[in-house]
Amino acid sequence: MANNDQNQTEAGRHQEVGHKSLLQSDALYQYILETSVYPREHEAMKELRELTAKHPWNIMTTSADEGQFLNLLLKLINAKNTMEIGVYTGYSLLATALALPEDGKILAMDINRENYELGLPVIKKAGVEHKIEFREGPALPVLDEMMKDEKNHGSYDFIFVDADKDNYINYHKRLIELVKVGGVIGYDNTLWNGSVVAPPDAPLRKYVRYYRDFVLELNKALAADPRIEICMLPVGDGITLCRRIK
Amino acid sequence: MTMTKEEQQQNHIAGHKEQGHKSLLQSDALYQYILETSVYPREHESLKELRELTQKHPWNLMATPADEGQLLGMLLKLINAKNTMEIGVYTGYSLLSTALALPPHGKILAMDVNRQYYELGLPVIQKAGVAHKIDFREGPALSLLDQLIKQEKNKGTFDFIFVDADKDNYLNYHKRVIELVKVGGLIGYDNTLWNGSVVAPPDAPLMNYIRHYRHFVMELNKALALDSRVEICQLPVGDGITLCRRII
Repeated sequence: MANNDQNQTEAGRHQEVGHKSLLQSDALYQYILETSVYPREHEAMKELRELTAKHPWNIMTTSADEGQFLNLLLKLINAKNTMEIGVYTGYSLLATALALPEDGKILAMDINRENYELGLPVIKKAGVEHKIEFREGPALPVLDEMMKDEKNHGSYDFIFVDADKDNYINYHKRLIELVKVGGVIGYDNTLWNGSVVAPPDAPLRKYVRYYRDFVLELNKALAADPRIEICMLPVGDGITLCRRIK
Repeated sequence: MTMTKEEQQQNHIAGHKEQGHKSLLQSDALYQYILETSVYPREHESLKELRELTQKHPWNLMATPADEGQLLGMLLKLINAKNTMEIGVYTGYSLLSTALALPPHGKILAMDVNRQYYELGLPVIQKAGVAHKIDFREGPALSLLDQLIKQEKNKGTFDFIFVDADKDNYLNYHKRVIELVKVGGLIGYDNTLWNGSVVAPPDAPLMNYIRHYRHFVMELNKALALDSRVEICQLPVGDGITLCRRII
């Protein structure tokens, strides 16, 4: 995704940060944010969000409503041991760290340490940095290493995948073993800017069109996977929750 | 919900859309994609039967949509719910979703002013083998809630409470259910985005019932956001569900 794309507001690309949703109007989305999200947003999350808004790749960031949802979900399932694939500046990572108990742990992976380090001071100030183990580099080799050891199987309460869409199915093959039975995997961007239903001749940005096939395939695969129960939520860019049942 | 027959027939004008096509999403095509890809293939056959039965009913726009039923089922399993309450049943789609998600010894106290609609759906619930989990009470919920509140032993005994009823009473329900749900438990308020009308300009053409209840919905949303006893999350699923996790 080239930097010079992100200032143009044509159809078929993700809208600007704070205004991208799958809802019938931006007004409705702003209503949710103003009424239920921002008044409840932890000050560290707000700081991180504002910092990130200045960054050129800011459309990659997790939205505030999604952060709130993740935080609630993690508390509801009493998560302690989690994993995150795809960190960027750490908004969902911070939402997670704030939700976990004192002895909670997050294994966080991203190919880019620089962006993580942009947000890290805010995470430190929030007093939750000790819960995070950050690994720079592609996730697949780390996952393959972990798979070799039986004791890692079924050891995660929650795994959040918000990374390269062309690898989601590859991640899924491993994560389904690493998450515990009864645990949750969350796949982000599964409605891909609504492009999952765009007609073949619709004008789409190259990166939207390129990854769309992978997203469509992932959605079909998850719906057909008998090891999980699923729920596709129109929060953010679409999150599919997968509860492992066997 | 007080809606005249005339208004029902005109419900295509700024009212709730037809069952199976009402959503808050950017297009019906996107909503159908979610339903076709992730919801219908996973829908329990009894839920499907109940949904199709309800489709023929004149008040069917009151029914819980299938995507919302799926979310409720998942949430209930994630929180290991055993003892739940439902205020507002209609033909029982969310009730059946709940009953299917609870363990065999799970219990649901279900209230509705109208037993007739519940009895329409009951044969399907019975066929699904989960009717034994349900304790149905006909009548207004407030009086029953007040009775429950009188006894200390009822406080904090519910894992999950779903409110999908008369919007002008949600705040009154909240005053009671906040005591009845356990600390760490979940309350769900349905229809909190009210067909998107929460952001309609003052002169927008709205059906009478939408306009009438809109004010109550907006007041509820403000009150929940300010309530320090709960952590909230307002999801654009169905007509908007606000989840409230009790923390004190």
